[in-house]
Amino acid sequence: MASTILPLELVDRCIGSPIWVLMKNEREFTGTLMGFDDYVNMVLKDVKEYEVTPEGITETELGQTLLNGNNIAMLIPGGRGPKA
Amino acid sequence: MDSASPQPEEQAAAAGSPSEFLKNIVGKRVKVRIGSGVDYHGLLTCLDGYMNVALEETEEWSNGRKTAEYGDCFLRGNNVLYISVLEAL
Repeated sequence: MASTILPLELVDRCIGSPIWVLMKNEREFTGTLMGFDDYVNMVLKDVKEYEVTPEGITETELGQTLLNGNNIAMLIPGGRGPKA
Repeated sequence: MDSASPQPEEQAAAAGSPSEFLKNIVGKRVKVRIGSGVDYHGLLTCLDGYMNVALEETEEWSNGRKTAEYGDCFLRGNNVLYISVLEAL
């Protein structure tokens, strides 16, 4: 049991690394994780926002961004996004 | 006051954390996107831990077009999808 870690410890180990964030809706983000809090609100830098539609994926580049944790569904450490 | 002992740093949240970010972006130009996908560009005058936000010189952008301008604008935090800085920190 000594080797088990809490879910948020896993996220904490991702700080400084690329992360792929999937929201509850058809929206996704990638970026470098700068930090997060207990609600899993996240600060990301070098962010790309993806909106997945039947017509394709629209991409928006953003600077340093605070992402509201309310709609976050899944985190993929090291993920480079839906196009990678 | 004991001049030999340096003033302790205010118990700071971890660098890069959301609360630290919020502290650093007051007074900057930001883009706030709400859940519906509408953007509000403006000068961030104040905010709080709920992500309630007050903007000045606000422009409302929807589907790539400017749809409104507001001198002052308050956005309730529950609607905020993200807050992104448009200038260097």
